[in-house]
Amino acid sequence: MKYMLMLFEPDTDWLSVPKDELDAALAEHSTFIAYLEQQGIPFSGAALRPSSAATTLRPDGDGALVTDGPYVELKENLGGYYVIDVRDLDEAIEVARKCPMGSGIEVRPIWDAAG
Amino acid sequence: MPDGLGNRSAPDMGRRRLSDRVEAALADAHRHGWARVLSSVVRVTRDFDAAEDATQEAFAAAVRDWPRQGVPDSPVAWLTTVAKRKALDGLRRDEALARRLPLLIVPDEDDEPAPASSVADDRLQLIFTCCHPALALTARVALTLRLVCGLTTPEIARLFLVSQPTMAARLTRAKKRIRAAGIPYRMPTDHELPDRLPAVLAVVWLVYTNGHTASVGAGPGRAELVRLAGDLAATLSELMPDEPEVLGMLATIRLGEARGITRVDAAGDLVPLEEQDRTRWDQEAIRDGVALAHAAMRRTAGRAPGVYTLHAAIAAVHAEASSYAETDWEQIVALYDVLLTVQPSPVTGLARAAARSMIDGPAAALEDVERLAADPRLQDYYGLPATRADLLRRVGRNREAAAAYRTAATLTENEAERRYLSRRAADMDAAAS
Repeated sequence: MKYMLMLFEPDTDWLSVPKDELDAALAEHSTFIAYLEQQGIPFSGAALRPSSAATTLRPDGDGALVTDGPYVELKENLGGYYVIDVRDLDEAIEVARKCPMGSGIEVRPIWDAAG
Repeated sequence: MPDGLGNRSAPDMGRRRLSDRVEAALADAHRHGWARVLSSVVRVTRDFDAAEDATQEAFAAAVRDWPRQGVPDSPVAWLTTVAKRKALDGLRRDEALARRLPLLIVPDEDDEPAPASSVADDRLQLIFTCCHPALALTARVALTLRLVCGLTTPEIARLFLVSQPTMAARLTRAKKRIRAAGIPYRMPTDHELPDRLPAVLAVVWLVYTNGHTASVGAGPGRAELVRLAGDLAATLSELMPDEPEVLGMLATIRLGEARGITRVDAAGDLVPLEEQDRTRWDQEAIRDGVALAHAAMRRTAGRAPGVYTLHAAIAAVHAEASSYAETDWEQIVALYDVLLTVQPSPVTGLARAAARSMIDGPAAALEDVERLAADPRLQDYYGLPATRADLLRRVGRNREAAAAYRTAATLTENEAERRYLSRRAADMDAAAS
């Protein structure tokens, strides 16, 4: 099954954090990616720019209303994600434990389009 | 056996009356065999509903066949064979339908890494799936009673005082979530076990405390809940005999059962530990429970004891005391102190204060209670004014004791407890005037 690991963290503009802090965060993810590769777990993922860079569209009559900012204002936001392909939820949880935790990780199964 | 089985089987029996022997064999197979049968059928169906139907049908077949053919030598094996056959028939019938449904993730026997887990029994896979921490505790409890204990939905609804449709919906949601979230039907590996076992034990504990302390009135299901919790704990200890917390849970339940008979009087009123007739306690159950409590402690060696092991140790000290006054209160307070470090809780703090009053006197304990009274978590907890009332009574502050008993009586949801507390309040009023 495919799962998305949704990584929540305090909204951070990684451009403005000190270099050693940024390096430390990147190193944690490098370690995690090395673990995924070593386990042979198919994955993809990306880091997101802060919610201040977000643009939100909402239904507005027949069209869409475009506003600045995230869909929901939270102290902690989705900061990035991984999509992993594993056997079941227990394996997904096991993998998520190894992932840099931030404020929290939401594990969500992805619909199997074939199924 | 839940009383439902007899009722369920009745229409299948026709005019024939079951002999006592067949009736007893059926009851025993249901109580000790249901989980064995269902858990191995799930391997075939990879679907809980289909496995339930097949298991149910196998028991119906037993009601029909056993009176004629005699009780088979191995009733559980007989039921499993029949249930598996029914399941396969059902699968063939519903093949087209089954393919469209997401199935349970059941690993093949061969690709199951055998050494990864030191215990292997289909029942454990069933229990760990029903008690997965990714399910809400109420969902875990409902699933466990339905699938592991074989209770019907109406029976579970009655035991937890919710409507049948509510309980049915809860079960349906939980089963759906297992499939949608990808909760697997397999044993956790040894290194996953420390995270997974507490979720199982929480289910057994909730079933037990609902029966034992009955926070919601003195329903007729109380004794049955305690019995079910005892069965679950016994199954777990049979399957995981080296887990100290499993032994601690079973010990606590056994010791609770041993003293259960004296907790209420003939009129159904609560009798406090202090006034219970200890000669009526079940000495054999106490010996079992105490031995289990010791075993739990021994297997803990070198680690911090777990919550249930400590509960068992406390229950064992009480059970072995010849009277309330001669209880080893020093030991009880010491155990509560450890429990408070393992699992800080103001409720445990209250129990410790009550125990301490037997060593340092009620006045000293009253100070502890006044300190705990500031804790917001205890604001609506009847135990706070009840404990305070007992201590106030013992220092002779009768008027305040009466008021505290009355507050406690309005907060408790248990009818027997309310009657007891109200009576105490009246006694204190009389003593004060």
